[in-house]
Amino acid sequence: MTSDATPPPASATPPPVVKFDRVSKTYDGGYTAIRDVTFEVDDVPGHMEIVGILGPSGCGKSTVLRLIAGLTPQHPATSGTVEVMGKPVAMPGADRGFVFQDYTSFDNRTVQDNIAFGLECRGMGSAERTALAREWIAKVGLDVDRDAEKYPHELSGGMRQRVALARTLILKPRVILMDEPFGALDPGTRYAMQDLLVSLAREVQATVFLVTHSIEEAVYVGDRLFIFSNAPGTILRQMSTPPPDRPARVMQREASFLDIVFEVRDIVDGIEESAGAAT
Amino acid sequence: MTARHLFALRVVPSLPVRQAAGSAAIAAVLLVWWFLTSGVTPEARTISPSVFPSPMEVIRGFPSLVTDRNLIGGIAASLNRVFLGFGLALLVGIPLGIVAGSFRLIGAAAQPISLFGRTIPVAALLPLTLQMFGIGELQKVMFIFLATAPFVFHDTARAIASVHDRYVDTAQTLGASSADVMAKVLIALALPDIYATIRTMFGIAFGYIMLAEVVDAKAGLGFIMLQSQRRGMPEHLVATLFVISALAYGLDALFRFFQRGLFPYREDHD
Repeated sequence: MTSDATPPPASATPPPVVKFDRVSKTYDGGYTAIRDVTFEVDDVPGHMEIVGILGPSGCGKSTVLRLIAGLTPQHPATSGTVEVMGKPVAMPGADRGFVFQDYTSFDNRTVQDNIAFGLECRGMGSAERTALAREWIAKVGLDVDRDAEKYPHELSGGMRQRVALARTLILKPRVILMDEPFGALDPGTRYAMQDLLVSLAREVQATVFLVTHSIEEAVYVGDRLFIFSNAPGTILRQMSTPPPDRPARVMQREASFLDIVFEVRDIVDGIEESAGAAT
Repeated sequence: MTARHLFALRVVPSLPVRQAAGSAAIAAVLLVWWFLTSGVTPEARTISPSVFPSPMEVIRGFPSLVTDRNLIGGIAASLNRVFLGFGLALLVGIPLGIVAGSFRLIGAAAQPISLFGRTIPVAALLPLTLQMFGIGELQKVMFIFLATAPFVFHDTARAIASVHDRYVDTAQTLGASSADVMAKVLIALALPDIYATIRTMFGIAFGYIMLAEVVDAKAGLGFIMLQSQRRGMPEHLVATLFVISALAYGLDALFRFFQRGLFPYREDHD
């Protein structure tokens, strides 16, 4: 990586959306979650990118997301630099939205007020933020009249994740971090959510990092894949995949798609076997 | 439903069956009470009327309890002390608990003092408050305050601390400041648990006040009971017990009513 030493003129290219430079994280107990993770996701106007992150359990995939978000205790990194839009990450912010696997709707708020939460923190007036929130309720496929006033305990898992998506996307974040967001959903709902994610990420022009256990999901949603090694995690392979330009249910049955899935599966299985041999 | 089903392990019977079981138990107690205190002459009774009154004597004692012994005034005096003392405990305990639950260093600093406050036996607070505050109203109020504040503080801090980290993480990635996280996430999500603590502790405070009132009071339900005992009027003593029980139930029902209205998103209301 000698080219790093001579960066191009700053005016010619914008800084990468996210840049990791030899990032390692070792916890107080001595456990190293990731080691020397280096990557760049460039900011290409008009071309947002979805990065699928795959790897064995406990390989530090979530650590990477939480470092981008600036969430403790993963943040700060033990060594190396994490930059977003050319600036080192200092703390969490609404420019980096996060969708978790666990349902994180605020129980005391209706769907509408959950979605408006970030706008409320920005100090937007009640009428304005409610109107925007109702727009987003529809955009994520919920029914404004029926669902706006519902509390989270009245929603299914898929509906809760739609709320989580709307709540994040309404803030127009530059980066969306997703940690197994559809992991707890049934397959049909999962396809629908994948399609929704792809179309909405395009609309808000956000770069998405999607951690998933599902190789199909990573290959379908992702434009690019990061395949992580066993802990301490590091990026073993980066590969490009065809963009998701057809519905999930259709594209994920095509032979050419399945060829890529099998190729990736062989790589992941290889990693897991080597880990099994080592222990 | 056969008898075998009724006695099956952990099987919940229907509501009418449960209510019938409760009523039957009350009837059984009343029957035993009536049996032990029945007799034409005092000598014929298993338990002497000077020891324990019969059910009818208690019922007949109610009018004079209200007129001669100023039952309503006693209720007002007791409730007033509880409201003042417990209200003070809420004013002090809840804000401190919120701070201690939000900032773990402060929580750690407060922990030993809180533990000390919670382990003092409530009866030990009587001589202490008499020593510190004399025998007036202030002593009664401070007794309730000291008996409940450590628990209000501790439970509030715990409710705040047990709001899951993932809500804080979520709020921060949605642009919430530390003040936003405290107000809109920690306090908002802990509020139902804090309310539940208030409800429980109020019931306990209402029980505690009787203790302070049997020592040197001039009014209150505890005072009425002590006077009844001293004057040899056990029917007033027992009648007052029923009043206290009904009052405690009524107040708790009021708390439950507001709980439903305040927290419609919580299904565990009992």
